[in-house]
Amino acid sequence: MHAFLLAALLPALQWDQGLSTENSVKEAGIQRLYVPADQVAGWKKVGFDAQTFNAAKFVKLPAPGVEYKMDEAAATSLPWVDANGWRMARDGSHAYYYSVPWRKATLAAAEAFANGVDAAVHLDPRELAAFGKMLAFLRGIEIPPLPVMANIGFIDDGSDQTGEVMNLMARRNLLFRVVSAPDPHCDLNVQIGTEEFSQDDAADPFAFATLVRKKLTDEKRLVRLYGSDVVLARMNGDATRVRVHLINYGGGKVDGLRVRVRGEYAQGQLAAFGIQNTALADFGIADGGTEFTIPSMNVYAVVDLKK
Amino acid sequence: MTYDRHMERRRFLQAAASAPAALAAAVHEDLPHYRVVSRFLASAHPGMPGPYPGKVARVHAAKSIDEQSEKVDAAAVVGMMSQGMRALTGDADARDSWARFFSPSDVVGIKVNCSGAPGIMSTPEVVAEIVRNLGAVGVKPQQVWIYERFRNQVDSVHYDRFVPAGVNIWTAEQSRGSIAGYDPNTYVDVDFFGEDDTRSNLSRVVSERLTKIINVPNMKDHGAAGVTGCLKNIAYGSFSNVARSHSGFKTNTYSFIGTLASVEPLRSRTVLHIMDGLRGVWHGGPFSQKRKFRFYPKEMMFGTDPVAVDRLLLDVIDGKRAAEHASSVWDRSMSHVKAGPFYDDNPSINRYIREPGHIEYAAKLGLGVYDIGQIQVRKIEL
Repeated sequence: MHAFLLAALLPALQWDQGLSTENSVKEAGIQRLYVPADQVAGWKKVGFDAQTFNAAKFVKLPAPGVEYKMDEAAATSLPWVDANGWRMARDGSHAYYYSVPWRKATLAAAEAFANGVDAAVHLDPRELAAFGKMLAFLRGIEIPPLPVMANIGFIDDGSDQTGEVMNLMARRNLLFRVVSAPDPHCDLNVQIGTEEFSQDDAADPFAFATLVRKKLTDEKRLVRLYGSDVVLARMNGDATRVRVHLINYGGGKVDGLRVRVRGEYAQGQLAAFGIQNTALADFGIADGGTEFTIPSMNVYAVVDLKK
Repeated sequence: MTYDRHMERRRFLQAAASAPAALAAAVHEDLPHYRVVSRFLASAHPGMPGPYPGKVARVHAAKSIDEQSEKVDAAAVVGMMSQGMRALTGDADARDSWARFFSPSDVVGIKVNCSGAPGIMSTPEVVAEIVRNLGAVGVKPQQVWIYERFRNQVDSVHYDRFVPAGVNIWTAEQSRGSIAGYDPNTYVDVDFFGEDDTRSNLSRVVSERLTKIINVPNMKDHGAAGVTGCLKNIAYGSFSNVARSHSGFKTNTYSFIGTLASVEPLRSRTVLHIMDGLRGVWHGGPFSQKRKFRFYPKEMMFGTDPVAVDRLLLDVIDGKRAAEHASSVWDRSMSHVKAGPFYDDNPSINRYIREPGHIEYAAKLGLGVYDIGQIQVRKIEL
């Protein structure tokens, strides 16, 4: 489990609405902006941390969320989750840019934060206040220097096919990190084109992810979620503590999400965006894992576990 | 308590070979691996099969429901309930019959079935008469919990208009898919088709509140299980995340229904089955979107043995299907299995390969008597 330390940056707002919107942006509590070059000085003058937005310096990401493709044949009836974590795992050193429709900006901000990357978010102005609330929530979360947790080493050849395999592994909460060669510290190493994971297997990425899960075994999975098809997990941790990021791509509230984390932890603390005075429920240890329930969560929740 | 339920293959095949449906059973030699997690121990005398294994009281009343208006004759229901309970227990007074099962300190759940509502459901007049009888033996309305899984289905029935104030109407899922209403520590873990969420959890009301349960299923055909009666209603109706047991043309209802029904404390606390067959569904179940597939058996069955009651139900549904020239619930021919909307309108099309053998499988788990020759039926005509 190697270190990819979380960046301390919060997502920035990419804003092209002009200085006349100064009060709205201030009221939303947003400080860091990417704006057109000719507006930088003006925004700085009224107290914002403004920089020129240069699209060439960012990798553009699709809007995160869920699609229900009922009219398409698919391997399962599971909703189609559009998540970008696998892209960040592939080339996590970049800064990213989202241009998202209404009601997707808080999700984009949460996704970027959970993955520890710098991001600029262009949003529908109707979501400005909600985006500001998300930034305020993220600002209140301590960011300890914990390495990313993953127990699957994935050798990425950069192809679309391996990209889709990584997407579906992330979709199933099979926590992996990209490695250049098999890592003996991982419980499982995955390289397409080997005897264990053939090219033929990878032709069906959904089945491939199932194969990876089977070879890893559920007992060795770092995290398992029960009660939602649309929440994805990401973890950071060391020998004594773990942070579990839970990102809800579904757009609605999720009640009663049950989480199982491998390893035994004595206590846990929950912070959930948009929900006050919340605490983990039904906390317990069973069969080498720690389990707890998130009573209710919106787009993003963070759980800190300590031994 | 955690234990594995995986019948050894050789043992299972031996059991299958001795059973009437050996051919069908042989298809199931590779059963899923179930891991049952529960902190509850079985009671000394589990509710299923209870004090009357292999015994069923059947009461038929021609005037219990009007076939045109579907209006229920509440007075007929009162008579059916009284006669049925007395016939089951042998008591002269129905109050004594109810007192065998319930005391004033009990907190009683009534597991209704609303999946076919508003076309078919545990009839409100039947549920009301159960509540009245509970009251007669000292169980206060506040100690009665009518429960189901889905709020929108129960709301369409309006039980509150039929039962006394104070009776609780509870659903596990206020919104579909939420597991907040289920016990995180009582579940069956099984991977059917590679699904990621492999747990089915027991409703909290069962594990945390109830001391006794009355199961009130309907008489219905079921596209996956063959029929849905006592076993299916108490099992799939008390656990989360059960629809995952069907995929493509295959369903795991054969072994999953009995496995769920056996989980403690559900098995110990379910003490009485009152099958409401005023209405029935002979095709398209568990739903009832088309009235042409509803029929009117006008009977109720009473028992503590869910297997015995369901064994009789099999003949009711398959008999009606035969009379309507529909394929048998036992038909496993792939030529009758089709995806898409065909099933909804054609009673000889199956959505899945049906698994009516789930009833016999439940008998193997000790939940009751399947052999029709061993089932003692007391028939009453009103």
